[in-house]
Amino acid sequence: MWGKRMTLEWVNGVAALALGLLLLGASPRFPFLKNTVDFLGQILSVPEYPVVKLREFCREFYSWSLDKNELRLSLEALQNENAMLQIVGSVLLSEQIKAELASRMGAARVTLREPLGWWSEFRIDKGQNDDIVVGLPVFQNGFLVGRISSVSSFSSWVELLTSSSLMIPVVVEETRELGVVVGDGDGSVLLVYIPDGRGILPGMKVSTALVSELLPPGIPVGHIESEASASDNGYVTYKIKPGATLSALYTVSVFKYSKETTR
Amino acid sequence: MPEIFLLSLVYDILTKDRAENVAIIWTAFLGGLAWDLRWVGFTGFFTISYTAVVLLVMWAWSALPASGRTTSVIFFMFWGAQLIPSVLFFLTLGRDADMTFFVMQQSCAAPLSFLGTFLCYKRINRNN
Repeated sequence: MWGKRMTLEWVNGVAALALGLLLLGASPRFPFLKNTVDFLGQILSVPEYPVVKLREFCREFYSWSLDKNELRLSLEALQNENAMLQIVGSVLLSEQIKAELASRMGAARVTLREPLGWWSEFRIDKGQNDDIVVGLPVFQNGFLVGRISSVSSFSSWVELLTSSSLMIPVVVEETRELGVVVGDGDGSVLLVYIPDGRGILPGMKVSTALVSELLPPGIPVGHIESEASASDNGYVTYKIKPGATLSALYTVSVFKYSKETTR
Repeated sequence: MPEIFLLSLVYDILTKDRAENVAIIWTAFLGGLAWDLRWVGFTGFFTISYTAVVLLVMWAWSALPASGRTTSVIFFMFWGAQLIPSVLFFLTLGRDADMTFFVMQQSCAAPLSFLGTFLCYKRINRNN
């Protein structure tokens, strides 16, 4: 049996449902409901404000995180691409340099080496017709042997490192000390004008210096063999072991200038 | 917020004296009306839904004997109370085509239902 209380509940419930149905059916015809919606929206906007701001913040933070992640991935991709392009560029450049060096290196045969001037000069079978000019460096196995001292049409003379009249500015690669390489005319190559106490040790490499007008810098000459003597004015002379085998010269290479330089 | 409002009404129905049921019915009516006026655009939709759910819970709770008022039943009361208006909204207005909003809503409402069940069970045991 239904009690009074239950009847009251159902009556109120049905009344509320009926009112709701009335609102649902008739609301499009009540224009004042729009004003009510606006008014309620304004009232509720106050307590909703913190949550709305929090939601906006969360949305912006999420968007910022996505953008940041996207930017980071793009940056990594660009860095990788840049590194690869640099490698490709370096490889291409080195290939170009190799090709240019190969084109500028001309092999020459030693045709004459007089006994009286054994340690001073020798003749090669390349001359003016082969674009040889005075001053060009001459190599054996990548090490400096000397430089062209005179040129004729079909042959040239090369002044050796061991010549006492050829003085070449050089640098000790490990310490960057500048000095001069000169021959003693008797088969030895000396490094002079090195101040004492500069820590020059046997084995250190010697190459042509940037200060030279005769030869390009960085051409390997040889390495320090031993200390030869010390002078009274604070300079030490060292004996150089040339990288080239100056007592067994059969063929050499002449590094010619580029065509732009010779014009 | 509307889910929390509805679950709090269900909690009141299950734990408070029956004398307050009439007030709960009209509270549900007004809460549904406020929700309609705030967001939905179909004035009366949630008014009817909330009132109907409250009436349904009242009827089901009064129809159950004391021995049948178990934790599982209480949980289904809570969960079902918030599920019915959501399903009706999804089926009739159908704006959530891929059910994303519906799934998100239910994933938030499920823990609330568990919480309501726990609090209700504690209150009922204390009253007994």
